Amino acid sequence: MLKVERLHHSYGKAEILKNIDLGVERGEVFVTIGPTGSGKTTLLRLLGLLERPTSGHIYFDGHLVNNSERQRLEIRRRLAMVSQKPAVFNASVFDNVAYGLKIRKENGASLRHKVMNALETVGLSGYEGRDARTLSGGETQRVALARAMVIEPELLLLDEPTANLDPVSTSHIEKLVTEIIKKSDMTVLMSTHDMFQGQRLAHRMGVLIGGEILQTGDPREIFSLPQSRKIAEFVGVENMLGGVIASNTEGIVDIKLDGAVVEAISNLRVGEQVYACVRPEEITLARTKESTSARNTFNGEITRIVLFGPLARVELDCGFLLVALITKRSAEEMNLQIGNRIYASFKATGVHVIKG
Amino acid sequence: MHAIADAFVLAVKMIFTGNPEVYSITARTLEISISSTVIGALLFVPLGCLIYFNNFRGKRLLICIIQTCYSLPTVFVGLLVFLVFSRAGPLGIFGIMFTPQVMVIGQVVLIGPIVTGLTISALSGVSPAIRETAISLGASRLQSVWAVLKEARFAVLTAIMVGFGRAISEVGLALMVGGNIRGYTRVLTTAISLETGKGEVALSLALGFILVALALIVTVLANRFLKVKEADVAQSRAPTS
Amino acid sequence: MKKILMLLLTLAMLLSLVSVLPACNEETITPSPTLSPTTTDVPPLKPVGRLTVATTTSLYDTGLWGYLEPMFEQKYGVNLNIISVGSGKAFQYGKTGDVDVLTVHEPKAEQDFLAGNYSSARVPFAYNYFVIVGPPSDPAGIKDMAPVDAFKKLITMGNVTGSQVKFVSRGDGSGTHAAEQRLWAAAGYQYADVEKSGSWYIEAGAGMGPTLVMANEKQAYTLSDMGTFISYKTKLNLTALVNQQNETLRNVYCVMVVNSTKNKTMANNLVTFLTSPEIQDLMGKYGVAEYGTQLFTPCAGQNL
Repeated sequence: MLKVERLHHSYGKAEILKNIDLGVERGEVFVTIGPTGSGKTTLLRLLGLLERPTSGHIYFDGHLVNNSERQRLEIRRRLAMVSQKPAVFNASVFDNVAYGLKIRKENGASLRHKVMNALETVGLSGYEGRDARTLSGGETQRVALARAMVIEPELLLLDEPTANLDPVSTSHIEKLVTEIIKKSDMTVLMSTHDMFQGQRLAHRMGVLIGGEILQTGDPREIFSLPQSRKIAEFVGVENMLGGVIASNTEGIVDIKLDGAVVEAISNLRVGEQVYACVRPEEITLARTKESTSARNTFNGEITRIVLFGPLARVELDCGFLLVALITKRSAEEMNLQIGNRIYASFKATGVHVIKG
Repeated sequence: MHAIADAFVLAVKMIFTGNPEVYSITARTLEISISSTVIGALLFVPLGCLIYFNNFRGKRLLICIIQTCYSLPTVFVGLLVFLVFSRAGPLGIFGIMFTPQVMVIGQVVLIGPIVTGLTISALSGVSPAIRETAISLGASRLQSVWAVLKEARFAVLTAIMVGFGRAISEVGLALMVGGNIRGYTRVLTTAISLETGKGEVALSLALGFILVALALIVTVLANRFLKVKEADVAQSRAPTS
Repeated sequence: MKKILMLLLTLAMLLSLVSVLPACNEETITPSPTLSPTTTDVPPLKPVGRLTVATTTSLYDTGLWGYLEPMFEQKYGVNLNIISVGSGKAFQYGKTGDVDVLTVHEPKAEQDFLAGNYSSARVPFAYNYFVIVGPPSDPAGIKDMAPVDAFKKLITMGNVTGSQVKFVSRGDGSGTHAAEQRLWAAAGYQYADVEKSGSWYIEAGAGMGPTLVMANEKQAYTLSDMGTFISYKTKLNLTALVNQQNETLRNVYCVMVVNSTKNKTMANNLVTFLTSPEIQDLMGKYGVAEYGTQLFTPCAGQNL
């Protein structure tokens, strides 16, 4: 329902968005992920028709959005946007949520009904009389969400909806969004810098780095099969081992690194410079060599252990740096200490090869 | 100090014994000042919005001029209005010199810059995110302006109250275009001026107290009106089911 | 609660807007209870338009106009709007046509007004005398001198430091001010020089009442008309020092109908009224009971 062609946007001399091409299907959840400052907010603002792009075309339902203010207003009435730090009006929660309906000339009992429903959906029943300015961050976000939903938009734009929230509120909001999506056939376009969130919520994702869309695809593709180094770094592939393809036998390649060989699956050719990307969670650690069936096994010294939540991030020096992510429990059972020499291994299938 | 105490007593006496002339002057003062404030608000709050929300060449200069006019001497404005509405002037055919009508017109002109300028101030105190939020929820241009205005309502009300204050307390214009005619265009301020000139100190002070009391009543009413709107919103939105 | 307040506010707004419409704002003729003592009981009449009069302040500050106004309004069924300004301003309003009738007391300006065809006749109706008043201690020692000599003495002594001699002038282009200037001229001084001659000469720029109040504050000398002086006497600590009732100091009030008035009939009614025997009689008696002496001498028909 939404198509973007060759979108460029600059603020003065600064080019924020370069050559964006994008398509979003009706009913799907599309998440743009990227680091802060990559242009996600700008993109959403342009798609929300809050600003006009420096150049490029936007299509809604196949119709080109032109400069006519009337047409833009009409389209804007069919979508709703929630910003990163939503502004609430200096009024009650009820009045805030009801705003979109009021300007569409709705009133009376049906308006009340819709507003109360929306408040219930976001878990704010009983809040309607409160001064909207006295709400906490999480509550404000929920009001903004209710405010957007209550007008039943065809397209919902969410700009980093949980960026300023604590983990509990974040999970609430995520649950909400998922429910909303399930209940209606709303199309959702969301941006976030939290790739895991993107993974959780998206049907499809687009990686926006430096103002360019570097890759689109479903979350699994992006996550496990990043197409470039920049993407890989962003999506959290911490182990990117640079080397050369030494041999390729029916898709099984040997990648020669400095002093080690990694086996992987790829159809790139011999002699190509590549990166062998391994996600930290694909690496298993063991005290002894034979307890693993993986082809890629390396011996290294533990240089760093960081515990967070139920996980442990272990850095190994195997001649090259390897970062592994295991459960805290496992780390305790193995009694890992800094300085220990242990074995790290991962399957060939766990290696994603990208061109270097 | 005696004079002030005497004057206070005199003021109370005049109000409660229903001195008809005091009543008539007070009523006239209210009529004229409230009329000019209402008309001024209806004209100049929208003008303030117009200026604030549009960008045009000379906008800063215009705002500067408006702010300069905060300090326009009332006699000066009175003189200008006189020159325009005198029978010898361009709008003389209406023949409204020395009437309450021309006093209202003059006061509207006087408070125009204040109401316009302070409305602009009020609007600029509202975060731009408010207007954007309104627009992102589908508000038309007009609706988004109204949303910002509502957000700034306290400051806008202040602008109107300040305008009222200037209108009710000015002398120069009222004297010049009204003529201080007893029973017709005499208001509290011009009466004070007259009685002071006659050396009637207690009377002048008493009239002054009445004027302040009036201003107080109007201010309190205006503030209560706003507060009521707020409380009412919270009350009536309680869940019914 | 909100609805009631909204209703009240709307009502207030409507009321104020309605009051602004000219048709709805013809004031009823009310009885003349003033803020100061004099009251006459006159029942209100149905309003029939208005007549605007610009008067010199001395006729107003004495309360004469306040006294005559309701009588005229009742007799002729019209609203009388009296604007109290200096004669200078009165003539100006007459020229621009913003008032219908003038009551003034400045012979030269009156002649110019006639010559300029702004009016067709000046009709004298009363007179009194100017009087030089000052502090009871009379530091300049002008008591009972001839007016011109008194002025000579005043300016001489005024320039002597430490003499306590001060003079407050109307300084407002009024009839009284013009009379004062005539006296300076007769004393042999250019008025411009008098103004510049020192801080002893104070220009009030105000009406007769306020000027007397200022002279009282400063314990200075001033030229006043007898009527205003007498009506203010109880509030002042000033004495009439040069009180010669002769031609030099005679102060004649006359009424002039402005030619451009839209209300000629009613304006002429006012002239008739002021020169009518009953009113002339009342004018002569005005203030006698209260102050013990006449404030105005009626003179309708006399060639003054």
